[in-house]
Amino acid sequence: MTTRLMIFGVLGLVLAALFLLPYGVSYFYIFVATEILIMGLFAASFNLVFGYTGMLSFGHAAFFGMGSYTTAMLLLHLQVPLVWTLLAAMFTSMLLAAVIGFFCVRLNEVYFAMLTLAFGMMVFAVAHQWRSVTNGSDGITGFPLTEFGLGLDLQLANPLVYYYVVLVVVVLAAALLYLVTRSPFGLILKAISENPERVSFCGLNERRFRLIAFIVAGLFAGLAGGLFAPFNRVASPDMIHWSHSAEAVLMTILGGSAYFLGPFFGAMVFVLLETWITSYTDHWMLFLGIILALMVMFFRRGILGTVLDRVLRR
Amino acid sequence: MPNHTRTIPPLRTLCTAVCLALGLGAATSAQAEDPVRIGAIYIMSGSPSVYGQFAQQGMQLAVDEINESGGILGRDVEFVLEDSQIKADAAIQAARKLVYSEQVHALMGLDSSGVATGVVPVVPELQRPFIITHAATPDVTGKLCNRYTYRLSVNISQNTKAAAEIAEQTGAKRWTTIGPDYAFGHQSWEFFGNYLQELDPEVELMERTAFPRFGNEDFTPFINNVMDAEPDGVLISLWGGDLVNFIRQANNLGFFDQDFEVLMTLGGATEVMSALGTDMPEGIWVGTRYWFAAHDNEVNNAFVSAYMDRYGKPPSYNAQGAYTGIQAYKAAIEKAGSTDPEAITDALSGLTFQAPNGELTFRAGDHQAVVGPTWGQTAALSEDYGVRMLDPMKTFDGDLVTPDVSETGCSL
Amino acid sequence: MQSFIAALLNSLDIALLLFVIAVGLNIIFGVLNVINFAHGALYMLGAYFAYTAMGLLGLSFWVALVVAPLLVAVVAIAIERLMLRMVYDRHITDSLLLTFALLLIIDESVRMIWGPSIQVVDPPALLTGTFSVFGVNYPVYGLFVIAVGIAMMLGLWLLFTRTRLGRIVRAAALDREMAQTLGINVPMVITGVFAFGAWIAAVGGVVAAPMRAIGPAMGEKIIIESFIVVVIGGLGSFPGTLLGALVLGFIHGFGGRFLPEINLVLPYIGMALVLLIKPQGLMGKGASA
Repeated sequence: MTTRLMIFGVLGLVLAALFLLPYGVSYFYIFVATEILIMGLFAASFNLVFGYTGMLSFGHAAFFGMGSYTTAMLLLHLQVPLVWTLLAAMFTSMLLAAVIGFFCVRLNEVYFAMLTLAFGMMVFAVAHQWRSVTNGSDGITGFPLTEFGLGLDLQLANPLVYYYVVLVVVVLAAALLYLVTRSPFGLILKAISENPERVSFCGLNERRFRLIAFIVAGLFAGLAGGLFAPFNRVASPDMIHWSHSAEAVLMTILGGSAYFLGPFFGAMVFVLLETWITSYTDHWMLFLGIILALMVMFFRRGILGTVLDRVLRR
Repeated sequence: MPNHTRTIPPLRTLCTAVCLALGLGAATSAQAEDPVRIGAIYIMSGSPSVYGQFAQQGMQLAVDEINESGGILGRDVEFVLEDSQIKADAAIQAARKLVYSEQVHALMGLDSSGVATGVVPVVPELQRPFIITHAATPDVTGKLCNRYTYRLSVNISQNTKAAAEIAEQTGAKRWTTIGPDYAFGHQSWEFFGNYLQELDPEVELMERTAFPRFGNEDFTPFINNVMDAEPDGVLISLWGGDLVNFIRQANNLGFFDQDFEVLMTLGGATEVMSALGTDMPEGIWVGTRYWFAAHDNEVNNAFVSAYMDRYGKPPSYNAQGAYTGIQAYKAAIEKAGSTDPEAITDALSGLTFQAPNGELTFRAGDHQAVVGPTWGQTAALSEDYGVRMLDPMKTFDGDLVTPDVSETGCSL
Repeated sequence: MQSFIAALLNSLDIALLLFVIAVGLNIIFGVLNVINFAHGALYMLGAYFAYTAMGLLGLSFWVALVVAPLLVAVVAIAIERLMLRMVYDRHITDSLLLTFALLLIIDESVRMIWGPSIQVVDPPALLTGTFSVFGVNYPVYGLFVIAVGIAMMLGLWLLFTRTRLGRIVRAAALDREMAQTLGINVPMVITGVFAFGAWIAAVGGVVAAPMRAIGPAMGEKIIIESFIVVVIGGLGSFPGTLLGALVLGFIHGFGGRFLPEINLVLPYIGMALVLLIKPQGLMGKGASA
């Protein structure tokens, strides 16, 4: 019981810190924190497929991109309130994930990774070449920021306001995603990742569970993308490219895939390191590569995972 | 339930430490002894990064010259450089970092039209003046124009109007294009076609065009496609590493021996010409925003010789743009008598100052500098400069190639 | 007709270059069961070593073609001994992630050493100029690339079917423990195969250098292409790699020429179709290379 109390205490502190963050740091870090929250949600959604279900996807950015484009295009053409664009982003990326997932979950391991890569790059190529709709490689820019909706009077163009919008949405989404992982459904996913055959023997349709996991992950990635476009004022093919999918992989490995908050922690380490190291050197990717190699070789459980393993074992 | 942990306190402590340092910097930056800080965003990675290197050299030269001769309002000037990665979102993040973390007074840079159309709508939120020194899409001083955004370099409409005049003189009637598949390539073709048809209604703009992806490696299919179409003239708006790659492959396929005229809107970039040396074909028309040997005036002569002494090569148009950007801020800050971003922004409007390529003025109506490109035919390789020289060569008068403010779609 | 022939030749030289790079990837997969994400980076390293040898040291193209791939093989030995060895008995995604880290490290090191902008080297005098077939002018160098591809193909085929060394490698690929009990030094074979795969990639890099620009991103582009090739042809299949390379070469050569509006998406459609209809690739997992 004391562990549980401690956990709630820590969680409360974290939320309080996030809420008070703008009062303690310089203005620039509001942008950094916003990015961490959004990328954390993206990585956490990826981890539902990777950490919980044991499938390494290299096409997860397709759903992030779908969410970004949906939001950007709705804001550009229709100027609907943000809350509706976010719902639309979740819906379109869910649909895309259903289509792509329908095919991908048939395959395992390397073949799954390759097929998700192929589909992700297919979406990238469409965004890149369908100029009349997506504006090609320039992406969709210059869209206005509307109101939030739901009768709330929020100035979304104000980075501070947008930070709080992102904070609330991401915390709610993370809570939902967490409930998914703790549900019986989530436990079956975990079982699939550990031993797919045994799950099949139990009479469960393993493929269907994997598909649902894939769709749920796509939906939350779409939400992250939907939040990202208004933050960065662009929806561009870069967000769909496989290297963006790889960022979710990196963040998850950095933080650790075994714990729910690992990807969020990884996103924080990733974005902060990027912010700091790029101030001193252009070669941040070198540091990233070395860190990733060390993590894979020696700390496969990630930073947060390794620390928690120590703490909890004691 | 082991899944929750202290995620944020480390962030908070780390942030607080860093931000204290930054905050102290911000609090004291109003004092007169602190340097004037200019934030610059150029392409420093990927195949076009040589453009960023030239820009960096141009800025360094300008900053050193200004500081040696007493600075701006008695204060030193310095620049902080960020990489645009030739992506709009990276450039927007870089701009936010420069303004909120590096506390710069003014911004400059941008190498790509695609990046510029993403960044320019965000500039008013940053509340800093922004001088574009390279990106050429007419939109940023047209339908996207805003109070803070200025451009001192030649834009697409200025350059293609000049290109159309050259094209008309060649007598070629059927034209096609090879350009990068983004805003710049498509707009170059559109504007060129319109201007050329105004000059000569009989000109045919072919349906069959080639827009390879930016950063494409094998241009062979696109080159064959155009050679197959048998046009009279080809407008090429590729630039950077793409143009180097294209020219080498086109040489191999005999593209330049064909019976058509070739106009390269950015072929006169010394970044490209020095990489190619004698691989640059002779006798084709190339355009450039600035040509170091085209302006016989005191400012240019001093600039070119200082640049040659320091870097051992002639300044490219991007080096000149970046150099001039710093000089423009010097003029604006001295006119404003302050480094307040709003005051600098106001001072830039209608500002006239001496640049290497002559006297420049930022029009109050759309903030575009009235300036024209230089076009010429590639001639013999110069031993001194390591690039082919231009002969004949023509520098277009900015007044003649710049469209009227009413045509730009900008209302300020 | 002329445009068809030009596109055909172009497809062939793209295909055979892709074959050279992808076959190394596939050999490594066949023996080590590692998808080497850094394979493209090793190809790039070959091109950069050749650039240094030719551009800075003034050596000839032919010397570079010998020296650069050997240097890359040495780098590969270090990588295999120090890093890859640690993850063989883990899940295959670990080696994918580790080699992805390697890709970042090599790409960025190249940027540090040679700078971010692109470099060019000239083809040797012997291979410059164009030749003419059916009224189509085509660069002699394109023909050379095709020749290198064919030579590599024959050489590998002879090596794996006609030599004792080839049989040892195939034995190690089929069953490591069995090979070990038969007295084969398996760890050494594995190191050797990894170095050999890297050597082949680097040969591709040197050959590509005079016709493509040398830049720090060239490895990232080619690795995805190589994935497409081995997936289409079949992971672990030697003839499949050739077939996959030809398919992708034709998609590029003809797609870029006749369907420029959708040329980017075509390779991925091909890759996805093969994975869905025949996940083992068109040539299945037959003769393990």
